[in-house]
Amino acid sequence: MTQTQSAPQPATWSPPAQQPGTPAVQPPASQTASRRNAIARWFDGTPGRMRAILILAAAMSVVFGLCAAQGFRQSDGALTRAEENAAQLVRIQEIHTNLVSANADATNAFLVGGLEPPAQRQHFVDSMASAAGLIAEAATAQPADQEALGALNKTLLTYQGLIEQARANNRQGLPIGSQYLRDANAVLQNDSLPLVQALVQANEDRTADEFGAVSDGTIWVLVAGVLTLLVFAFALRWLARRTHRYINVPIAAGALLVLVTVIVGSVALSSAAGDASDTEADAYADTLAMSRARIAAYDARSNESLTLIARGSGDAFDKAYQAAAGRVEEQLSKLSGTAADSIRTDWDAYRTVHAEVRKRDGAGQWDSAVDLAIGTSKDPANSVKTFQAFDQTSADQLTNTSAAVTSNLSDSRNGLPPIGWLGLPIGIAAALLVAWGMSQRLEEYR
Amino acid sequence: MKKLTPVVVVAALLLTACGSGNYEATQIPAKPAPKVTTAAPPAPAKPCADGQDPLASYAPDANVPAPGSQMPAGTILEKIQNRGRLIAGVSADSLNLGSRNPITGRIEGFDIDMINMVADAIFGAPAPGQPHKVELRVISSPQRIPLLMDGSVDIVARNMTINCARWDQIAFSAEYYRSGQKTLVQSDSTAKGVADLSGQTICAPAGSTSLDNLKRKNPAVKPVTADSDTGCLVLFQQGKAAGISGDDTVLAGDAAQDPYAKILPERFSDEPYGLGFQKNHPEFVRLVNKALADMKADGRWQASYTKWLGKLGKTNPPAPIYGRTQGLSS
Repeated sequence: MTQTQSAPQPATWSPPAQQPGTPAVQPPASQTASRRNAIARWFDGTPGRMRAILILAAAMSVVFGLCAAQGFRQSDGALTRAEENAAQLVRIQEIHTNLVSANADATNAFLVGGLEPPAQRQHFVDSMASAAGLIAEAATAQPADQEALGALNKTLLTYQGLIEQARANNRQGLPIGSQYLRDANAVLQNDSLPLVQALVQANEDRTADEFGAVSDGTIWVLVAGVLTLLVFAFALRWLARRTHRYINVPIAAGALLVLVTVIVGSVALSSAAGDASDTEADAYADTLAMSRARIAAYDARSNESLTLIARGSGDAFDKAYQAAAGRVEEQLSKLSGTAADSIRTDWDAYRTVHAEVRKRDGAGQWDSAVDLAIGTSKDPANSVKTFQAFDQTSADQLTNTSAAVTSNLSDSRNGLPPIGWLGLPIGIAAALLVAWGMSQRLEEYR
Repeated sequence: MKKLTPVVVVAALLLTACGSGNYEATQIPAKPAPKVTTAAPPAPAKPCADGQDPLASYAPDANVPAPGSQMPAGTILEKIQNRGRLIAGVSADSLNLGSRNPITGRIEGFDIDMINMVADAIFGAPAPGQPHKVELRVISSPQRIPLLMDGSVDIVARNMTINCARWDQIAFSAEYYRSGQKTLVQSDSTAKGVADLSGQTICAPAGSTSLDNLKRKNPAVKPVTADSDTGCLVLFQQGKAAGISGDDTVLAGDAAQDPYAKILPERFSDEPYGLGFQKNHPEFVRLVNKALADMKADGRWQASYTKWLGKLGKTNPPAPIYGRTQGLSS
């Protein structure tokens, strides 16, 4: 179709093109007209058409190179950001764990009386210190979280101030200490934890977005690759008809180069995307479930103490315990593997002790229930011991799974072929091959 | 035109390449709106509809069982005896009345001595070194009447004032202590009484008679409430309340915990304390009234008073008033 339509054109347009030099003294208007004529002449006839196809194919090659590079950079970037966001999420979850664990220490120590066990006190201090360190780290790692982390820091200052006032009063045997402890607990529950939950939500969303974006790079490579190959196919077909040669070797080589890049690139990108979604479904999901289970477990532990502190009017705390324990079990049921089994065993051991604590408290043996909860009873198992076992095994498992997320993602990133920076050179090489192939044919018109 | 297309594409590419990796800032959750404390106008002191003296309780009679003996069948006393312990609602943060000793972890005070007396009247005195057969439930001021009415606790000893409005819902023992409302302020305050505290924030526990009395005495003060007496002391220490209004017993405990507090001498109400019971168990009240009269007579009351509240000055146990008849109250 193009041939039949364009064939008569050179005939009708050639006469004006033959007198460029004669109207030399014409006004500038006709000068531009003559320049336009020169360009038109350059694209004239079969050689002109060749030049046009050359430019189109070469430009398309470069665009393809850029697109391939962009696609790879996008997927690579998404993998990097997924890794960073997952790490940030783990950090925030760790802040959360540290806070609820510190609060569980503080409330449990209150059950003990004015003389807190030094180890428990130390654990509280360590948890708060580690939360403070992680907040600074998290603020550097994700600028978008800075404001919320700043607000969190403010609430923690209040929290810690109230805890210290509670301790000072408690140490002097003044009952007002318990009120300061309640207020501190209220600050943590009502001011600090909603901020932490907002941070967790934001980072979960970001991580999920980036996991989803890993496969987006494939679209760039495929779309640009197919368009470029179409242009190359058109050029080859046009040349074959015009020049009565079957194939133009350099242009065909360029097409092959593009084709290989498309195949290698899209296979590599989709396998990276597949790896990423495997990581999301396995290691990352395990990390999330493990963190949530630990947070809920500490929450349950605090509520065990608060139920006892409330001495008979702690129904609300007992309900909160049940809810938290339900969350622990829901999250633990998502885990698989032998490590998960031992975590579940440890959790069940703690729940058994808790049931005994509730039984004794319900039967009016408050002192004996407290002994069991603070680890001073003669029973072989107590809340402190069994909970520590759960804490230990679950913390180890969390370290393993979050390390697996990082290493899986960086593995799939390192496995990508270097098309991110080779893309443009490949495009330029294809463009040069087109130019070379076309120039062979153009020679014949000189 | 053909030449322009690649330029546009490249520009679009560069733009999209820079766009990713910048996230929206994490949303800071909105704080729930602070609870508006509705300053409801104080209910006028309700005259006793049945014309009975609010301080009058059920007189102990010959049917009252001896301590430790088999309690009469079908009564709440039998239920308590079979359970093996008395469940009492008390305070754990009113120093000297009912407060948890942080060192020993035990709840102790004047109110707790009353509870132990009641337990002994049912179960008999425990052997030396054995605890009284009580289970103490820590309840807040606003919980006193609801928990008593739904049967969660058998008895309440938590500095509760006897009045007619409460008689409609629960029953009281004879008066076991006569307290009165005073005001605690900062030690450098120049106020002589509540009249001088207009416009200042004064704390009182929610749902307490102190709150109503305060609003009646000087409507110009700005009342703030807390869940407990100690909650008020925290607000006072944090500067969120200029003073605390409450029973002298409670304020004495507060002042003992804060050397920068003083109690104004002005006493503007009488707060007769009674033990609270469910409304429909007069046999329980009779038994307690007998034990209470014994305690007042044999010096145990005086000993307990001196131990916990001696700083308030010498006093004699209030004389009991009896003569209430059941079922006549509205």
